[in-house]
Amino acid sequence: MRSRIEAVDLVEAAAAFLKEAEGELSGRMAFHAKVATNALAIAARELRERPGAVEAEALGALLPDVPLDERLAAACARIRSGAWTLETPGLLDALEAGVTARLAVDNPRFSTLQRLRGA
Amino acid sequence: MEQDRTDPGAARARLARVLERAVPGHVDVEAVIPLSGGASSLTYAVDAIREGQAWRLILQITPPGQTADGMSRAVQAALQTRAGNAGVRVAEVVAVLTPQDGLGEGFVMVFVEGETLAPRWLRDDAYAEARAAMLADCAESLARIHAIGAEAVADLRLPVLTPQAQLRALRETYDRCEGAVPVFELAFAVLADRLPEDGDLALIHGDFRSGNFIVGDTGLAAVVDWELAHVGHPLLDIGWLSTNTWRFGQTQMPVGGFAEREAFYAAYEAAGGRPVDRDLALAFEMLGSLRWGVMCMQMGAAHLSGEVASVERAAIARRVSETEADILFMLKNGAL
Repeated sequence: MRSRIEAVDLVEAAAAFLKEAEGELSGRMAFHAKVATNALAIAARELRERPGAVEAEALGALLPDVPLDERLAAACARIRSGAWTLETPGLLDALEAGVTARLAVDNPRFSTLQRLRGA
Repeated sequence: MEQDRTDPGAARARLARVLERAVPGHVDVEAVIPLSGGASSLTYAVDAIREGQAWRLILQITPPGQTADGMSRAVQAALQTRAGNAGVRVAEVVAVLTPQDGLGEGFVMVFVEGETLAPRWLRDDAYAEARAAMLADCAESLARIHAIGAEAVADLRLPVLTPQAQLRALRETYDRCEGAVPVFELAFAVLADRLPEDGDLALIHGDFRSGNFIVGDTGLAAVVDWELAHVGHPLLDIGWLSTNTWRFGQTQMPVGGFAEREAFYAAYEAAGGRPVDRDLALAFEMLGSLRWGVMCMQMGAAHLSGEVASVERAAIARRVSETEADILFMLKNGAL
């Protein structure tokens, strides 16, 4: 039986409590409790799915020599300088892998996420 | 109303005098009820009695000692009045506060009955008739706003933003927020090519979207929130109305969640709006997603700086990825 409580377990426990507390609140407090519950759900998904790593790895084919934690900034710089454009092979697909990974954490029910994955 | 906290009776009496300046006869103010507001903007429902008749009003103020973030309330009131005179559906402005009134900077307008929560009027069966009328109502309102013209508001000294200036301003905000979003970088590059340097500028609302309408039983009752009005490209208003975020989940109806593009463009043109460049309108939809994405980043920055720390702001910053997905879809498929 697992007994070690990980960060994600704490966040989920706190989210479950907040959801329960929400029923006792009204007006602005209830609204913010709902937002806070949702914020904790995002944090829990992020701890589980690590979308930042997915995003950095997706840029690996285009930026093999750039360390993982510098790839996002490097991609931005290359697009801004004009070195990368819409026509750069593999760029849109790499960006899509990162964006969909983050969006699945931030708002898994967002319609464009399904449309991108279906397309 | 700062004074309201210490002496609500005196503040109500002062407000009654303001109203008596605007209309003939005796006015009493019975209640001033806070509705919403942040540090620089407060909105109240005002229950007044005018010559024995109930008179429902809305008071919008910047509290004494505070300065408005952007447009002054007096300019907002003037714009709203001029838009109303041009046939745009707005809440009629009753009185503008003066410094002598001691109530802050603001104005009083007529309360307009209706639904402001877009997800409700976009989805509920009770609003089916209103929804059907929104295409024509919004197209007509936009055409009339855009027909007012920059000259007619020259005295209000509104910001003038060409599409490219708008894009540059967004980029500056994005850079100040230390943005590192490759999809936004692509959008900036693509839009720098697609948006015109100037174009036929006009008075535009600046925040014309399904969240800024009061919708009555038969359609559009009022266009609210004129604070972002400026002289700019008319298609900015159409693109913003069509931005996926403001469809509130009704993605299959690109314009505001309630209309098809072609039908809306045709209605806008028929109501006197300028011919809609279809491809450029889509570029403005991308600009809309980029604009909302950068606004979300700004809210995250405001939370982190401690300026407006709130769980709501922090959570909204996580909506950036929604706009990235929308932009990616547009880059790949032309339109969303």
